[in-house]
Amino acid sequence: MSALYFLFQQTMFFTIPLLIVALGGMFSERSGVVNIALEGIMTMGAFTSILFINLFQGTLSGQPLLILAILIAGLTGVVFSLLHAYASINMKADQTISGTALNLFAPAFAIFVARQIQGVQQINFNNTFRIAKVPVLGDIPVIGDLFFKNTYITTYLGFIILIVSAIVLYKTKFGLRLRACGEHPQAADSVGVNVYKIRYAGVMISGCLGGIGGLVFVIPTSTNFNATVAGYGFLAIAVLIFGQWKPVRILFAALFFGLMKTIAASYSGIPFLVSLGISSNLYKMIPYIATLVVLAFTSKKSQAPRAAGVPYDKGAR
Amino acid sequence: MKKVLSLILMLAMAVTMLTGCGSSKSTYELALVTDVGTIDDKSFNQGAWEGLEKYAKENNKTYKYYQPAEATDASYIETIALAVKGGAKLIVCPGYKFETALYEVQTTYPDVDFIILDGEPHSEDYSEYRTDSNVYAIYYAEQQAGFLAGYAAVKEGYTKLGFMGGMAVPAVMNYGYGFVSGAETAAKELGLESVDVKYHYTGGFIATPEAQTMAASWYQNGTEVIFGCGGAVGNSVMAAAEANNGKVIGVDVDQSPESDTVILSALKMLSNSVYDGITAFYAGSFPGGQVVTLDATSNAVGLPMDTAKLEKFTKADYETLYAKLLAGEYTPFKNTDAESVSDLPLSIVAVEEVK
Repeated sequence: MSALYFLFQQTMFFTIPLLIVALGGMFSERSGVVNIALEGIMTMGAFTSILFINLFQGTLSGQPLLILAILIAGLTGVVFSLLHAYASINMKADQTISGTALNLFAPAFAIFVARQIQGVQQINFNNTFRIAKVPVLGDIPVIGDLFFKNTYITTYLGFIILIVSAIVLYKTKFGLRLRACGEHPQAADSVGVNVYKIRYAGVMISGCLGGIGGLVFVIPTSTNFNATVAGYGFLAIAVLIFGQWKPVRILFAALFFGLMKTIAASYSGIPFLVSLGISSNLYKMIPYIATLVVLAFTSKKSQAPRAAGVPYDKGAR
Repeated sequence: MKKVLSLILMLAMAVTMLTGCGSSKSTYELALVTDVGTIDDKSFNQGAWEGLEKYAKENNKTYKYYQPAEATDASYIETIALAVKGGAKLIVCPGYKFETALYEVQTTYPDVDFIILDGEPHSEDYSEYRTDSNVYAIYYAEQQAGFLAGYAAVKEGYTKLGFMGGMAVPAVMNYGYGFVSGAETAAKELGLESVDVKYHYTGGFIATPEAQTMAASWYQNGTEVIFGCGGAVGNSVMAAAEANNGKVIGVDVDQSPESDTVILSALKMLSNSVYDGITAFYAGSFPGGQVVTLDATSNAVGLPMDTAKLEKFTKADYETLYAKLLAGEYTPFKNTDAESVSDLPLSIVAVEEVK
């Protein structure tokens, strides 16, 4: 049983950053802007927030420091994503290219600035954020072991973001307008919706969540930040597509990816999985094969926002 | 207006260039070109710089380090040229990143001597290896450092070990095989029945949640100490150790400042070998043209016992062990001995290679 709890807890370390970043990507794409800059945004968010932790861990520690770092990561993501928004909304640039540019820029910037400030590109931090056991809740049998032991507040933040995202997208005026701009911006414009503003909002939300996702990714993974998020921004895009641009499906996609990644990485330490004798390569492949299969079967009636990737031009009808 | 502005700019440039010339009179005999990092990087640059500085201070030589603008061959060559212009007679290049740059400059500056650590000059496509008479190329016997670490870990009482390397390149494999050999030897001496080693190459030198999860699962399953041997992979192992009450063995340099979980590090004594190289240079016996693998006989590998967090394995034990290693009593396995770690002839240590 303890192996099961362990698997679940580790799965969260993969799932939560993927979930947060994929939800970010959802907001951008549903507003009509393809955002493949998520990898770069994650890197930037992780960079500034880890640098903040590094500088302030002498005076602060634990959850207050983490919460401040999350705010900084989100803010950085917003600012950084504005570059993408400006290029792809105002300048009507090719969104893939502007996204790629940001992806290339982010690690270089992080390394350069880190070296300027402290001489070394690795930024160390002390992990004082892990919660070994949540008081009271951690004592609940089964559920306590699953959700309230060896965890981070970011896990709960991930679920909160999921719920809020679902409500915003489907139950608010803003959500309706956002979806309209991603499906048929001309129609939205004709009833008085400012497409540019909505798309800016979509990209900025994705920037905020992408930045937070970067921090959430790095904290349990390492003891320093080395200007990389190991391709998880791109993986989040796969999760987004696998989840068909819908919040709850994205959650299941992220859980599925996370579980497979966890099994592939940890099966050697879990006797039950070793005895099954399945090659870890299979576990590593499954999420991607599944993505391909899903794409192949759903491409005809794909749920992708119709206008995603197409710059909105007021003059074109 | 524009003309005036450009005139002022030109004047400013001319003035700065003149002052630049004026101040470059003094020369520096000993030079170190960093691999873009700084001399306090807790790694190769710092180790090499410490050796150079020590010698220069003791013997009253002028010395200086130069930092290239970027990690490219062109930039390295440019910076080495700068060092030569600055009067350098001996230039230290810390790290394999200088291999191709050095391949070119060794012919450009035949009167300047070079020391390269952890590499040897070769052409860009690896088709030609050539070490001229003005270059001294140093490799390290990683298997001995790994051996010391594995031996110390088992002597300390750990019987469930792990090894997590970066890529299966010779240096990493040497560390791994040596680590396993050390565990085997210590187990024999202690009369242990079995020692388990989990063994894995992550395939990269970056911190990933995969590496963290694998290390965490090993700790969960009873592994007591993991040798994190692949740059930032070690940091993922440390993160897992912090969350699971595990222990870590660091690599290359003393990694104990990076996490409280680091009980030991398998070292390359960079500063010693740089110091010895410079000493030979001034004694007129510079081993130019040689590609050597330095080992315990020149005190080039070791464990930092001052920062080690061990109870049973003492400094005296370490000195006895080192003496025996010097005497040739132990010959740890190295990468050329077996294709894969599971092919090594071991009797007590059971290696489980995780692919």
